[in-house]
Amino acid sequence: MESLLSHFPANNFSLLGVILAFPLLGAFVNGIWGKRLGKEGVRLMALSAIGVSFIASVVSFLSLKTLAGHGGGEHAEHVKLKWTVWSWMHTTQNDTTTIPIDVTFSVDALSGVMMLVITGVGFLIHLYATSYMEKDPAYWRFFSYLNLFVFSMLTLVMGDNLPILFVGWEGVGLCSYLLIGFWYKDNANASAGKKAFIANRIGDFGLICGMFLLAHYCGALDWDGLSANASKLVTPGAYAGNKDYWDIGVWPLAHSRYEGTLGFLQPGTSKLFEYLHLAKVDPAHPIPITLTILPATAIGLALLLGCTGKSAQIPLYVWLPDAMAGPTPVSALIHAATMVTAGIYLCCRMWFIFALSPFVMVLIAFIGVTTALLAASIALVQNDIKKVLAYSTVSQLGFMFVGVGVGAFTAGFFHVLTHAFFKACLFLGAGSVIHAMHARIHDGDASQDMRNMGGLKKYMPVTYWTFLAATLAIIGLPGTSGFFSKDEILFRAFSSHTVHPLATQAAAIHAWQAPEWTGKVIYGLGVIAALMTAFYMVRLFLLTFHGDFRGWKIGEGNKASAHADTHADDHHDNLQTPGAAPHESPWQMTLPLIILGTLALFAGFLNPGFHIFEHPPLEHWLDPVFDMKHVFSGVKPQVEAHSASLEWMTAIGGVGAFVVGSGLAYWVYALQGGAPAKSLATAMPRLHRILLNKWYVDEAYNATAIEAVDALADTSANVIDPWIVDGILAKLTSFLTSAAGTLLRAFQNGVMHLYAALIVVGIAVCGWFFVMPHAHATFEIKGNSAIVTAAPGPGYRYRWVEAGGKERPFTERPATDIPLEAGASKDITLEVTNAFGHPWFIAKKVVRVSRPANTDLKVGQK
Amino acid sequence: MGTDIPLFHYVVLSGILFAIGGIGFMVRRNVLFSLLSIEILLNAVNLSLVAFNRLRPQNHTGHILTFFVIAAEAAEVAVGLAIVISLYRLKRTVRVDEADLLRN
Repeated sequence: MESLLSHFPANNFSLLGVILAFPLLGAFVNGIWGKRLGKEGVRLMALSAIGVSFIASVVSFLSLKTLAGHGGGEHAEHVKLKWTVWSWMHTTQNDTTTIPIDVTFSVDALSGVMMLVITGVGFLIHLYATSYMEKDPAYWRFFSYLNLFVFSMLTLVMGDNLPILFVGWEGVGLCSYLLIGFWYKDNANASAGKKAFIANRIGDFGLICGMFLLAHYCGALDWDGLSANASKLVTPGAYAGNKDYWDIGVWPLAHSRYEGTLGFLQPGTSKLFEYLHLAKVDPAHPIPITLTILPATAIGLALLLGCTGKSAQIPLYVWLPDAMAGPTPVSALIHAATMVTAGIYLCCRMWFIFALSPFVMVLIAFIGVTTALLAASIALVQNDIKKVLAYSTVSQLGFMFVGVGVGAFTAGFFHVLTHAFFKACLFLGAGSVIHAMHARIHDGDASQDMRNMGGLKKYMPVTYWTFLAATLAIIGLPGTSGFFSKDEILFRAFSSHTVHPLATQAAAIHAWQAPEWTGKVIYGLGVIAALMTAFYMVRLFLLTFHGDFRGWKIGEGNKASAHADTHADDHHDNLQTPGAAPHESPWQMTLPLIILGTLALFAGFLNPGFHIFEHPPLEHWLDPVFDMKHVFSGVKPQVEAHSASLEWMTAIGGVGAFVVGSGLAYWVYALQGGAPAKSLATAMPRLHRILLNKWYVDEAYNATAIEAVDALADTSANVIDPWIVDGILAKLTSFLTSAAGTLLRAFQNGVMHLYAALIVVGIAVCGWFFVMPHAHATFEIKGNSAIVTAAPGPGYRYRWVEAGGKERPFTERPATDIPLEAGASKDITLEVTNAFGHPWFIAKKVVRVSRPANTDLKVGQK
Repeated sequence: MGTDIPLFHYVVLSGILFAIGGIGFMVRRNVLFSLLSIEILLNAVNLSLVAFNRLRPQNHTGHILTFFVIAAEAAEVAVGLAIVISLYRLKRTVRVDEADLLRN
């Protein structure tokens, strides 16, 4: 690696180009020539593209490790490998500071790990998909999209500034849309893709706003620049040089513009704001009337909206369960392992921004824990195996948000890592199951319904054991990866409360500090969510793999005809007569399962708590990224050193949730055969219905936001378009045009005599104007006289007649002097005649010249 | 220049000629008379040009412009009569209001 670093210096590490270029190349080749390449060629292209990318990622990662090792000592330095491709554009802050936006990619400790996960897990899922999608006619299209996704995701994590991240962010959104609607001939799939895209666009709006605000208040968009300027967000007068305007006015109660007019709101309202501390109430004013928000909070909220869109959190989580309409490898790669963690990645990447706003931090934690609870409760009663896993993903993403929100960025990111392994394994296992079920049932929905499964352990042992490993990890069996990451989050939530990193430094900050109890509440709710997780995962596992196979009753030919006309595009089109027993999947599918299952079991030892290691590897590795001292000099860490005993105590909650949840599920579904669940559902039908219908969130969104947009569209289509656009704009314009045409057409009658007459009239008018003399004069005061100058004309001659004066002949001199005393004014008549000199052609004009009293130099006009 | 006719008379004569030409052009339907009327119009202009040039004896702009107008007249008559002849061959008429081949 040393020699590699000598060839590729850290600030121009062009090897990153290989990581990025190969997936893009794969997407391009498969997209353009995929049909002609054939399945073998497509497979080779796609796999080798991701494989090369993975190898290059490993090499880059090792180089980074070598580079980090150079620093020596207890704490590694914050190092990164950087590669600037070209200078894209630049913008300015307040028209003064230039903010360059370069196409720059960089890999530091954080993005290095993400890069490995994306290419590593991505490769396994590509391998899996080569077999899973075997019978699909659009094989090449699938792999083209999948490679493009990997490229976009790598752009997202490797971008060195927000705009590049945003390019990747949009790219993964596009690929997600394309792959959810991969089987676009089914309307439900296409609309699921649209739903995902629109929900993501709402989030992107927040991200864009956050970017603008950052450019405005920080004056930087790249990671180094942002972390160096982050403290400007809470420093009075740090931008625009104006001490009074250091926070963002909240419309309509913004700044002093409304000063005085809002007096009626005082003082009760300001007390309320002060209590909420959302706003800084300006102490300088005797009557505090401005409602403002810290830039850090505004930016945090905007970025948070982006994160909730991409990472499927309340309020924008609704797209993710529907996204399961896509092929299962897509669900595993995009909607479990990588893309949906982009929001958490952004939070970790911009942690120094979020940390400046305790309000946003607590909001993140509460959004996370609420989402975790809500999604877990829905997952309890779903019957579609992929739906359960989808809600499980939403719920686990909620846990990651909790980790980020309580300031334990390493713990949140660790859960991203372990979740990538066990949830990818679960989705791939589910895909394997669906693959087997589909072979006999030939119905997309029925082969995903757990009520048709059962007893699959006998038929698919590899899937069974790997699925078991991943299930144990997600429900938190002590020692597995999920146990360590989830307990770390719960422990950090319990033991820490968010403290403003600059609270001791800047006394002027009126930022809200989270009360002590928030951490405890989040911990409690998190334990309940973990309990539900254990229950629904064990339920899913038992319903799928244990008991008797319930699929014999279905698939004896009754679905074959339906399959023939609704799934013309589907795979297995050669099996028109069902009846085969479920079978184990080929090695391309089981090998990734085995690898991911192993990782799900043991990846926890990357970052185990409980002081098992002196320096947990991941925490040690990420330490420079989340080093508060690196960004805010002289600040003590947010999460204080903790005692091991407290960690053991909080682990009781997590382990208890695991024992109770899985024990309960085992009792209900393994020992009682599901009877208690049925009786509970009949005992509380309303609750059961609410859970089954996902808390009616989709319906609520339909009734409010979507209805409102529909109403706007209806108004546009039924009122604005026919009356204003068609009516006033189109019809009125056309009427005026045709009326003018009718009028003018009367002159174009082809009768030459009329034309001649019109010409004569025109010439006569013009001739009259030019022949008749026109009298016009200006004057200016010079010294003791006014100089009056007449306007010139063809053959003009002039004379000036004063009242009572004698008549003089016409001369060619256009100007005359008139002596004038200060303050006096005089009338003089200008007479102009033309070359004829006949009295018919004399124009007259009276000119009043006047001279101001107190000055003898005045230019005027009359 | 002692017994010169004043400018005003020239201009009035020129105006009368111009009016005759203009009215003739507008009133007569025969193409030949239209052409003749145009000649009268142009000659009215020529007359006024020459007359005005007498006010500026040191230059000859008016005279020169008059020659140009005469040259243009000659060309116009040559082309115009050719058109009239071909119109007559085509339509067996020399009436302006019947020469409406391009109309509609």
